[in-house]
Amino acid sequence: MASMKCTKCGAPVEFDVGDKFVKCSYCSSQIFIDRSGAGFYYALPFAIGESEAVGIFRRWAGGSTRAKDLDKLAQISSLKKQYFPVYLFKRDVNGMEQIHVEPAASTTLPGLHSLKVPGGDLKIFDDKFDAGGAELIKPDIEMAPYLEQLPGTPKEQALVYFPIWRLDYVFEQRRYVVVISASSSEIFSGDFPARSSGAYMLVAGVGFLAFLGEGLLALASTALALGLMAITVVGVFVAANFVARRM
Amino acid sequence: MTISVGLNCPACGGAIQVTEGDNVLNCGYCGSLLWVEGDTGVLTVAYRNMQDRDGVLRATERWWKKGFKARNLGQRGNLRECYPIYLPFWSTTTRVAGWICGYEERHYTDRNGNTRTERVPKEEMVLRDYRYTGIACDPGDLGIKYLRNTAGEASFADFESIPTFESTTSKDDMIESSKQSALHDAHRDADVPHVTFEKVTVIPKNIAQIYYPVWVVRYAYGERMYMVTVDGVTGEILSGRAPGDPLYQSLAVTGGTSVGGLIAAAGLVLGAAAEEPYFIIGGLFIGVVILGFTYLFFRHGSEIIEGDFKDKRATSPMDWIRSNLGGLRI
Repeated sequence: MASMKCTKCGAPVEFDVGDKFVKCSYCSSQIFIDRSGAGFYYALPFAIGESEAVGIFRRWAGGSTRAKDLDKLAQISSLKKQYFPVYLFKRDVNGMEQIHVEPAASTTLPGLHSLKVPGGDLKIFDDKFDAGGAELIKPDIEMAPYLEQLPGTPKEQALVYFPIWRLDYVFEQRRYVVVISASSSEIFSGDFPARSSGAYMLVAGVGFLAFLGEGLLALASTALALGLMAITVVGVFVAANFVARRM
Repeated sequence: MTISVGLNCPACGGAIQVTEGDNVLNCGYCGSLLWVEGDTGVLTVAYRNMQDRDGVLRATERWWKKGFKARNLGQRGNLRECYPIYLPFWSTTTRVAGWICGYEERHYTDRNGNTRTERVPKEEMVLRDYRYTGIACDPGDLGIKYLRNTAGEASFADFESIPTFESTTSKDDMIESSKQSALHDAHRDADVPHVTFEKVTVIPKNIAQIYYPVWVVRYAYGERMYMVTVDGVTGEILSGRAPGDPLYQSLAVTGGTSVGGLIAAAGLVLGAAAEEPYFIIGGLFIGVVILGFTYLFFRHGSEIIEGDFKDKRATSPMDWIRSNLGGLRI
């Protein structure tokens, strides 16, 4: 909560991020909050703790396109709790509201170039805000150049700190990094150890062709074809089960 | 520069009360009719949360038992966190009015194999309101993009106690996309295959912001963390991730290769016997499609994903066609 003085009676009035109109609790007059000329600092609280962040990483690492057993074999070398800054601009362009998000710090981390403000409970970032021991990444790109380039007239501009877990891991002597949004739990990755589809396609392809051939064979000798089909069913199932568990 | 503006009636100077989204109001003192200019915001409603923690956890446990999820999820699933949030959605009503004229072609084949084409003229009046919803913030990994239920008790009673996700998308973008969807849906509803003339007007009627209660449940399975979201009004599962089971994956590909392979073989045999190439092509096509779907489940069924997630893989043929229009993925 931030506060300002009531325009009528001078009493402090508290307001939150989404408020457009607030009511003074002393003189009960209504006040419009004009954000067009000011810059605000917002932050999203951490909704995901350390152990959850590791669990979300392991779930992601166990996914079907990740290397087999990456969730068990990846060695987490560091896990950092950080706040990353972005600029959020609301503009009025010919009567239409436009939202622009621009980077406020230079980074090579994955996901932070997609430039969006993740969903979350935006709070006003002031000295009362509890960052929970997270490292604040300092903005190194200024807001002013953006303001000159953006179309239309300003409605609101803010610096938004969003919470991330930066997780570094090692797999087969190579380093990788993922970023987990601690507000929306979305996971961003650049390069990751991938799993080959080869074994899966082999099982499906060989199985299909075997049944196709046996179907044709049934014209010549039904009993032989049925016998072969029974063996193929068992064979495909065993092979598929092995591939699904181990490959 | 000051950021706060006191509001007074320009006629009598009395304090006035404005609700977000209103642009016409009466002064409470002198009764003057006033017009609000500038950023008036949008009408905002919040739905009352009707679920409690226990109910949500039981719904999650029931969801674990459905579908092709890991069979031991009931025993090994470990519920960790369960909390409600308010998610912002835009809700729009868009009216489409006008006429769409054109024709439909019907083909008739008589006994001698001659085909006759008849054009049936169509003249359809369009007058309908279309309602759309869309999430007003980045959904991240929640797997929710639209509201399925738009009925509920409007109440701000829980608003202070439940964390509220702020809306960070433009309402005008939503109005614009609603206009396009309404026009598209109106054409679909008018059902005129060949349009020769149309005069259709799309009128955005209103936009509101709905804060909708959603419960987020996080659970562990082994060392992995999965999540489920539950509708705070109806108690239904909105989206979720769950571990799959290699047994179901193997059964799927066993079934797919056998049924697909045999259908393809049947097509070849019947087609060759009847000298009908369509049988051969049809049989092969159906066989390969069956193989394809079961293969996708075999390859990616180690995680079951329900809801509007970005990394969701197709579970139904229509989803698959939609998600693969831009290029085939394996």
